[in-house]
Amino acid sequence: MNIETQAPLIVGGERTSGKNVRTQNVLAASSIANIVKSSLGPVGLDKMLVDDVGDVTVTNDGATILKLLDVEHPAAKVLCELADLQDQEVGDGTTSVVLIAAELLKNADQLAQSKIHPTSIISGYRLACKEAVRYMNENLTIPAADLGRDVVINCVKTSMSSKIIGVDSELFSGMVVDAANAVKFVDAKGVARYPIKSVNILKAHGKSAKESILVNGYAINCTVASQAMPMKIVGAKIACLDFNLQKTKMKMGVHILVNNPENLEDMRKRELDITKERIEKIMATGANVILTTGGIDDLNLKYFVEAGAMGVRRVLKRDLKRVAKATGATLCSTLANLEGEESFDASMLGHAEEVVQERICDDELIFIKGPKVRSAASIILRGPNDIACDEMERSLHDALCVVKRVLESKSVVPGGGTVEAALSIFLENYATSVASREQLAIAEFAHSLLVIPKTLAMNAAQDSTELVAKLRAFHNEAQNNPKNRHLKWSGLNLVTGVIRDNKSAGVLEPSMIKSKSIKLATEAAITILRIDDLIKLYPEKKEGGPSYQEALQSGQLDM
Amino acid sequence: MSAPVLVLNQNSKRESGRKVQLGNVAAAKTIADVIRTCLGPRSMLKMLMDPMGGIVMTNDGNAILREITVQHPAAKSMIEISRTQDEEVGDGTTSVIILAGEMMTAAEQFLEQKMHPTVIIAAYRKALDDMQEILAELSVSIDPTEKSEMRKIVKSAIGTKFINKWADLACDMAIKSVSTVVLDNQSTGRREIDIKRYAKVEKVPGGILEDSEVLDGVMVNKDVTHPAMRRKIENPRILLLDCSLEYQKGESQTDMELSNETDFEKILQMEEEYIKRVTSEIISHKPDLVFTEKGISDLAQYFLSKANITAIRRLRKSDNNRIARACGGTVCSRPEEIREEDIGTGAGLFEVRKFGEEYFTFITKCKDPKACTILLRGASKDILMEVERNLQDAMQVTRNVMINPQLLPGGGAVEMAVAQIMKEKSKSMTGVEQWPYRAVADALEIIPRTLIQNCGASTIRTITALRAKHAADGNQTWGVNGETGQIADMKDLDVWEPVAVKLQTYKTAMETAMLLLRIDDIVSGTKKAEGGEGTGSAAPTGQ
Repeated sequence: MNIETQAPLIVGGERTSGKNVRTQNVLAASSIANIVKSSLGPVGLDKMLVDDVGDVTVTNDGATILKLLDVEHPAAKVLCELADLQDQEVGDGTTSVVLIAAELLKNADQLAQSKIHPTSIISGYRLACKEAVRYMNENLTIPAADLGRDVVINCVKTSMSSKIIGVDSELFSGMVVDAANAVKFVDAKGVARYPIKSVNILKAHGKSAKESILVNGYAINCTVASQAMPMKIVGAKIACLDFNLQKTKMKMGVHILVNNPENLEDMRKRELDITKERIEKIMATGANVILTTGGIDDLNLKYFVEAGAMGVRRVLKRDLKRVAKATGATLCSTLANLEGEESFDASMLGHAEEVVQERICDDELIFIKGPKVRSAASIILRGPNDIACDEMERSLHDALCVVKRVLESKSVVPGGGTVEAALSIFLENYATSVASREQLAIAEFAHSLLVIPKTLAMNAAQDSTELVAKLRAFHNEAQNNPKNRHLKWSGLNLVTGVIRDNKSAGVLEPSMIKSKSIKLATEAAITILRIDDLIKLYPEKKEGGPSYQEALQSGQLDM
Repeated sequence: MSAPVLVLNQNSKRESGRKVQLGNVAAAKTIADVIRTCLGPRSMLKMLMDPMGGIVMTNDGNAILREITVQHPAAKSMIEISRTQDEEVGDGTTSVIILAGEMMTAAEQFLEQKMHPTVIIAAYRKALDDMQEILAELSVSIDPTEKSEMRKIVKSAIGTKFINKWADLACDMAIKSVSTVVLDNQSTGRREIDIKRYAKVEKVPGGILEDSEVLDGVMVNKDVTHPAMRRKIENPRILLLDCSLEYQKGESQTDMELSNETDFEKILQMEEEYIKRVTSEIISHKPDLVFTEKGISDLAQYFLSKANITAIRRLRKSDNNRIARACGGTVCSRPEEIREEDIGTGAGLFEVRKFGEEYFTFITKCKDPKACTILLRGASKDILMEVERNLQDAMQVTRNVMINPQLLPGGGAVEMAVAQIMKEKSKSMTGVEQWPYRAVADALEIIPRTLIQNCGASTIRTITALRAKHAADGNQTWGVNGETGQIADMKDLDVWEPVAVKLQTYKTAMETAMLLLRIDDIVSGTKKAEGGEGTGSAAPTGQ
């Protein structure tokens, strides 16, 4: 029994094994869950995170919280990664996935205490997960195809309700849905896609959250290169360049050897002229807005000014690509053509209704409005300070993900603990039909799902025990009594603390997020359950001089 | 047997629950207390000393808070709102902090009564919406072209500042400078008022404040390059360049291999010829004045002075832009491409004047200047800094009024009026929300209360009198006379504030309070730079 304390075979490390390691892992997992617990649901609160430098982040998003925490315990890290994975995969429901996983582990530990082998628990969980997702897809989803915009907006509102913008969800939900629709395109297979990443979200402090605006077009955080350029161009022809419009310069290491002094003068002149010719070529096509990722030398600005064109330098490549896509421009990385000469074709130009520079707060932004080829969307967030704007951005991102999922998967489930309660009843009934030791695990799985309605009720300062019992009673009735089938939409109303029909109340979530979070949580729980031995090595002492990292650290200490 | 399970890095501290909420309230209150005495006409300045030993004397909320280092994260976000206010509207930086602090204080009692923060926030949100509506109703529009009206507003903005003694002068300066840079953009159909770029404040220590003026043109801290050049020209033709009048090597790395000594001479000669050619290009356009952002070589100076052209070198880009707007020229970059239109002829007088030991170039009497310099004189650098800050505020106020000519009575009158209406409204509300809603109304009274406090009058008596005044109809413009501490009709006192500033103050203060109230957990010492101990190699999320 005493192997875990000191094992002579392992050099320079610590080893924990057996029951101990499982209990420790479960403990770590539940402490992670405890951290994010209070941010779940419409009455959840935010966390304030302060990093080493003193930068402050205020957030309600589970994934962001866990990403910023300095987690040491390996099992706890698995949970943090889980939240991150959920964030990347579906974008929302990061808090609930952690809660479910932790609860699954806790209950599994109890089973293990009563000497049930982890592999039995694992297979039970697998089975339960499969059945739960199947049941949910068959019985609890509402096809959204015929339900229209209202459903989508309701889903967004549900996602936002727990966030800082919850009080303004009316405004933001409409904005998010419009933005997602603006970037919609149909891919080669004829499936509508919503690349939400191309919704450009910009933040500017000042004004109030309500004055955030959705711009039909693309906004870039840049200014025109010279004040003498026009601030607005209607009927813009946009050239997107990916090279410098600076004095031409030989690449590094190229020396030019001149024998005749006069040649030197020619070279100087040529340097200026090459760029000038390039600009002239671009201007000749009628371009009046030139966006480049590189720089534009001051001495070249005059040509733009004289032609009445806007020149914008140091545009981010990411932005420029999107602008090019939306306006139909070709991102031009060089003017050279196959004939070895330089040319710029008018077909490379993109078109937009207008390009305008506007002042927002103390800053200037360039808007490309009404792009011709594809509609684009930019959201400009306003708020009291940067911290709030950052959190609004995260919330909007989650909301956009929700829209994407609803529109792409075309099915929704009622929120507010409805699905979890229904599944727990179903699984309990199902468990009794399984005549093997998995039965216990399935029952525990059913029990674990209740953590969501429980936490929701707890955050709302309601009597969670009673509310959840009531909710379960409703769902039991719905599943056993065909007459009362409509009760399957019952969920929690957290403001008043009663049970209501969440389908008609418009508390909806995309079904994909639900199924993904159940699946991911199960997988994560299983991963941790399988562990029965933890070996932690001491940091290796390196021979022969300190590593770069160490040098850096010691250098920092010197300072 | 069971060792403690370490989940988080031991360096991080975590606080949660009620303690955090009350801590945030306390932090907000502390910040508000720091600058409470800076509000109103009887406000006092603060003297701040930075680690480098420099001093700042100011009563501008933003300038004070910027210098303060705080530990508490909530306090940090409080400080940031002052900056937001400054950048968005330029004035009201002190009130926004005081108001936000008070809003947090108002929420404290409800937190102690175990009311859920989301309920408080919902009530606050509703209150904010109502406030905006009420403000819109209370506001009065004016005609921004009316000089005397404008003066009144600017004067009340200046009233709380250091330059109050020179209020008339400051008003005139602010209005003149802002109306100079107004540009009605035909294409966008909007008014553009770019104070930051085109109304530059230049501070020259020495003289007295009364000597300050707004030039109908531009001033730069530069002297002519060559003593023989003319220092005073009437109706100059001005050429603006951003290239150097020196011989420069190309950008590419060039090496020259010379085989005989005549070649060497040739090179030198070429350099000379280059200068000669460039200057002759310039001379052919017959300018009287040449400004360039880069250098001018001795030889070029010689050629120019021989042609009776005055040259000034090493201008800042922003100065060059201002001169271009003031005299109607274009900045040229290659001497051989100068056109006749590029030459600015709008200026009436070029002159180099000497203040103390330094020479300053003036381009004044411009026909239609769209840019200007505000020349500030004063006893010391520190005073000038404060005067500049005050003037910036005044200019921002002017700008806000020009863009949105809507006014509200100042001196706490608006706050009392809004509070009055909101209290009436709260009576008809049902549910728990009415209490935080009413608390917001009460919290608004902090502005008149602080005004009274700062001038040493009896707070309770005056506030009660003011409340009684507002309870009766038609007294919505009654507020506090910040000088005497008496209640007075703001119409008689002519204390007005732009709506834009007030709206922004309320919005920022309320939304910050909402943000801070939502927090129930503070974790400090989270990662960014990986700590010394710990697992090190396998960070959970590599980004």
